[in-house]
Amino acid sequence: MRKALDTSKAPLGKATFAKIPLSRIPFGALAASALGTALLILIFWRYWGGNEVTYTSFATATFIGLAVGSLYAMYATGLVVVYKTTGIFNFAQGAIGVFNAFLFWEFYVNRGWHALLALAVVVLVIAPLEGVLLDIAVMRRLRNTLPVMQLVATVALMVLILATTGKIWQQDSIRQVNFFFGRGAGVESIFGWNLGFKLLYHRLITIGTAIALAIFLSFLLYRTRIGTAMRAVVDNRGLAALNGVRPNVISSIAWALGSSLAALGGILIAPEIQLDPINLNILIITAFAAATFGALKNLPLTVVGALLIGLLSQHISTWLKFGSDFRFAPDAVAPVLLFIVVIALPKAQLSIGRVASHLKPKERLTHPAEAIFGVAVLIFMILVLSKGWLNFGIWDPGAWGQAPLNSALVAMGLALIGLSIVPLTGWAGQINFAPLAFAGFGAFLYLKFAGIGQETTNGYWIFLVALVCAPMGALIAIPASRLQGLYLALGSLAFAQGMSLLFFPHSSIIPSASGGSHFGDIRMFGITFDTRETFLLLIFFAFGVIVVGLVFLRRSRYGRRWVALNDSPAASATVGIDVNLTKVIVYAVSAAIAGVGGVFWATANSTLDGVRSFDVINGLNIVLLVVAAGVSIPMAGIFLVFIPVFDNLATRLEELGSVNWLVWFIREISVPLGPGFLALGMVFNPRGALYEMGRGFAPILPWRKDARKEIAQENAQKADLEFGEMGLDRPFAPNEIIDLDRRLRITDFVVPEGGYRRHDSAETGTEAATAAGDTT
Amino acid sequence: MASNIRTKNARPQKPLKLATKICLLLAALAVIAAACGRDDDDPVTGPDTTPTTATAPPQTTTTTGGEDPDGETTTTEAPLVIESTTTSPDICETAELEDSEIGITADKITILVMADVGSPLAPGLFQGSIDGTKAWADHVNENGGLACREIEVIEHDSQINPEKTTSGFLRACEEAVALIGSTSLFVTNVEDLNTCTDQAGNPIGIPDIPERAVEAVHACSPNTFAITNAICPYSGSGAREYHNMVGPHRWLQAQATANGNPLHGVFLIPGDLASAINSSMPGIRSNSEIGIGNDGEFNVSGAAPQASYAQYIEVMKSSDSNYAYTGSNDQSMLKWKSEAEVQGLDLDSITWICSIACYTPDFQEQDVAEGTYVWLSFLPFEEKDANDELNTFIGAMGEDNPPSWAAGAWVAGRLFENAVNQIVARDGLNAITRQAILDEMRQISAFDANGWFGTLNFSTKLTSPCFVLLRVTDGEFARVYPQERGTFDCNADNNILVNVLDSEAEYNAGPEGYLEERSGTYEVEE
Repeated sequence: MRKALDTSKAPLGKATFAKIPLSRIPFGALAASALGTALLILIFWRYWGGNEVTYTSFATATFIGLAVGSLYAMYATGLVVVYKTTGIFNFAQGAIGVFNAFLFWEFYVNRGWHALLALAVVVLVIAPLEGVLLDIAVMRRLRNTLPVMQLVATVALMVLILATTGKIWQQDSIRQVNFFFGRGAGVESIFGWNLGFKLLYHRLITIGTAIALAIFLSFLLYRTRIGTAMRAVVDNRGLAALNGVRPNVISSIAWALGSSLAALGGILIAPEIQLDPINLNILIITAFAAATFGALKNLPLTVVGALLIGLLSQHISTWLKFGSDFRFAPDAVAPVLLFIVVIALPKAQLSIGRVASHLKPKERLTHPAEAIFGVAVLIFMILVLSKGWLNFGIWDPGAWGQAPLNSALVAMGLALIGLSIVPLTGWAGQINFAPLAFAGFGAFLYLKFAGIGQETTNGYWIFLVALVCAPMGALIAIPASRLQGLYLALGSLAFAQGMSLLFFPHSSIIPSASGGSHFGDIRMFGITFDTRETFLLLIFFAFGVIVVGLVFLRRSRYGRRWVALNDSPAASATVGIDVNLTKVIVYAVSAAIAGVGGVFWATANSTLDGVRSFDVINGLNIVLLVVAAGVSIPMAGIFLVFIPVFDNLATRLEELGSVNWLVWFIREISVPLGPGFLALGMVFNPRGALYEMGRGFAPILPWRKDARKEIAQENAQKADLEFGEMGLDRPFAPNEIIDLDRRLRITDFVVPEGGYRRHDSAETGTEAATAAGDTT
Repeated sequence: MASNIRTKNARPQKPLKLATKICLLLAALAVIAAACGRDDDDPVTGPDTTPTTATAPPQTTTTTGGEDPDGETTTTEAPLVIESTTTSPDICETAELEDSEIGITADKITILVMADVGSPLAPGLFQGSIDGTKAWADHVNENGGLACREIEVIEHDSQINPEKTTSGFLRACEEAVALIGSTSLFVTNVEDLNTCTDQAGNPIGIPDIPERAVEAVHACSPNTFAITNAICPYSGSGAREYHNMVGPHRWLQAQATANGNPLHGVFLIPGDLASAINSSMPGIRSNSEIGIGNDGEFNVSGAAPQASYAQYIEVMKSSDSNYAYTGSNDQSMLKWKSEAEVQGLDLDSITWICSIACYTPDFQEQDVAEGTYVWLSFLPFEEKDANDELNTFIGAMGEDNPPSWAAGAWVAGRLFENAVNQIVARDGLNAITRQAILDEMRQISAFDANGWFGTLNFSTKLTSPCFVLLRVTDGEFARVYPQERGTFDCNADNNILVNVLDSEAEYNAGPEGYLEERSGTYEVEE
């Protein structure tokens, strides 16, 4: 009976928009709009390039802006439809589009199929099948997980699909998909009026398709039975099922539709971008902004948002002159707009929460002594390994040398940054996709405090970095305090993207003229950590101190408040917790940890690059791995070391000339696809891999009687009955009916020969109920 | 989409002074004489080796000087070709070989090739560098090895990742005698490359002969001798002197001027990375110096969709541009030309020019690539019958159109091979150390891979003045200038100096700032 009907399920962010009367536009939205407009005017005034505005130049920029905007709209409408019909915001929407665009190229260009046939096969056959497969294999299992799990799982899917696409179609040649109707086919005049530029048919089709899709999909969702069923399933799966809807079928149809839309988007976009997985996928972040503009539900408004972004980007890049420092400003339109829209959203109501046993497992707090002991063991192991005191064969770093040591250092730097996610996301439930932005800010501060290009830097500046980063985090918490769940995730993503486009590439932030900024060796406690071995010890020491600190913090009053905030913000407020202040504090703590991590990460790298080091995808990978490890467990950060360990293991095995298939597997499968698979593992182990590992290890410890007892209880429960979905989605199987009878103490029921027909389940249920009533 | 506009009017070309030309000629002769002299002074007379002609004997490649701005035609002799030598099998049988250095044992010479290959999102990117290096090593091993030893190649994947790149340097330091033929984009930390210890415990670093050095910090590393992008622009601060090769642009300008239609046009700068802007700006300013007008310069992102190129087309239309230059890659050029065609520009009336980044088999096969000029600093693969070394390379690679990275990697191997042979000839088979290789490399002032490449000078890290100009014609790269197969234009005045600000600042200053403040201050290298 563990799996009851989930009547508390509500789509992310739904409450935020559904009840806004049009006559009452929130003050925040007005203020944000005014601020955005003023900012835009100021930017145009400050960076005006002085180009002559002619009809042709203006019209060209406008039409091209619309064409580019329609590309965004293609992805954005797909995003909204999937969200509306499944309740899951699919970060992998762009990646699905990329994969199918490559598939289209394979059929159309490489194998010479007719374009329409290739299009039909990909969009109408393969893509829907992919959607159904995704639904069955992954998405259904995400239904009852926490929002952070849902989001990170789709990010994992994105990483996995992109990596797989790259594996199948390697980037060793140009893959060009021509425009439909030919390369230069279009019109130059309408009704005898010379446009001054050419309207390409393909672009007209893209714009038309985006608009037509918005109208058609709105009709489908709001005016047809199946659309109503789709929305109903998202709103309340159980209730929809009781009204005759088959939730699993509807859910599969929704994912099939979403995949088809992604495929269509990818194929229409491909001729403009050329087939490059990275470039094709970049558009998805812009599509997020457009989708948010439409409040994740209004398709026409989504298209308007996408076109607006396209127009703004194009006109900004046409008329304004930014220097090298702000060279990415036109690309920053989407994240800035996304951030403004998210901030302008009405303040999210405090949710009651979803504290259900299957969502929020009972948590055993780590005892500080255990944490200290664990960290001490870890540091001792590192000491032993790094000094080469013991020879572990292939595990001996003396044999591995400096290269794996270097990998371990950088990975440990990332692990420190990953620790910042634990209190913020793991405990307080605040989703943050921008850990690298905070880390980069810390590295920037350290560069300023300790001096650029110094051979040795004063390590005590790290404490000041933490002190400055903390208020920076608190500053971000102010807008974040208005948001929850998905919008918080999107806001943090926009913040990360904005920082990576506007802040870090600036030459006065991360100087790049000499190939990056040099971070010298850290000197602390009278020791200069100028070798990799000593620095590894220092970084592990810092990791240990923060982990132990977090364990103490988790047991403190603040820790309990954060967890309460995560469980039920409304209940927290009821018992007198200042929700906003609590959020501000946890953001400050997280930012301070990320800032410190950033210093160690930068020092481990020796240099940083203002553009490449802070790529949003790198930040998402950190979140991905920490969540996969178990986001509420401080030691989860250490998971980031596993990938380089695997990679170095392959190198070592290769050097030893052994087990070629294993080397191949590690190199070709584990390392490139591993993070994605690992994170998707959450679907099956929502508590994280580290939790499962710990659960297996804990009973061995003499003092963990509780762990042994828990395992015994779970084993007993496994013998218990699974009710599944109460027969709503599928008929009960005969053995299930027998189990039901047994549990309901029905002893006089006989299974008819040949089993049950489909409608028998209802009859059986009635009989069973009657029998139960009789019995009682 | 990321693009910013800079506009200016064309500026007339400034002719070179006669004195400057004479100095140039003398300098070229001096280089040749010095190089020949070194060959004579250092005969391969080591105690246990015998100089023998390698598979690609030194050729006297006629390098034809083109018409200079005054209409003169000059012809110069080929620069020094360092002979490849292999050691006599007899001597190898009797020699007592020792472990003279990390990566050098009695029977093996271990080198490491590092390339961005296994990035999850761009797998196979620079596989050509690894293939080229391995092809060279196999070729040498099949022909008796190097210094009586077999060459072993360790492959390292840098994955467009700074940590993996540093790890590659560290791995090379511990396992190899040198890095050969590498292509890694993310080299921002060369500390280990220059300071790791040799077998004797001296912190001298490790020799690095990469296929190319993208980051300035890499090109300027004292242990790095790049085959492509070897120029080290960093000396001093503020406005700096950059060497730049303007041969192809000057030739095209001369043709256009002769037709009464001097070149002026739009320049695209690969704007995603600061290092890419850095490496592009001197080239663009050099075009200004030889009189090619700048109608606008744009910072273009690799991720920009084709539609966003329309704004550049608009500027070209309004300025009636007849010249289009990109410092970006083949995909960028294809998008640009495709959009230009869409917007009704007459592609044939415009001189489209791109660097080696467009010299790809896929590029020439695209319809829209037709007519695009591409310049190279080595003889194109299509002329394998005109050069033995090129022919050997093509044969070893087993394909007619290998990636250009493979060519640079092969030549890096050849350069290493020559350095080792020189050491062996001078000091014996057990004298090969990292220090000896570094010393040898730093003295090489002219290397041309037996006539296949334009002359490379590793002692000064100056760019080669040699070029060959190709044009995509009927779906193939066809030689345009010099017309004779197997030749380069190696006029010394193909190289000019431009006085450019720290490059990001130069971009911010725009062409107006350059022309008003720094133009015309260059001097030809003497």
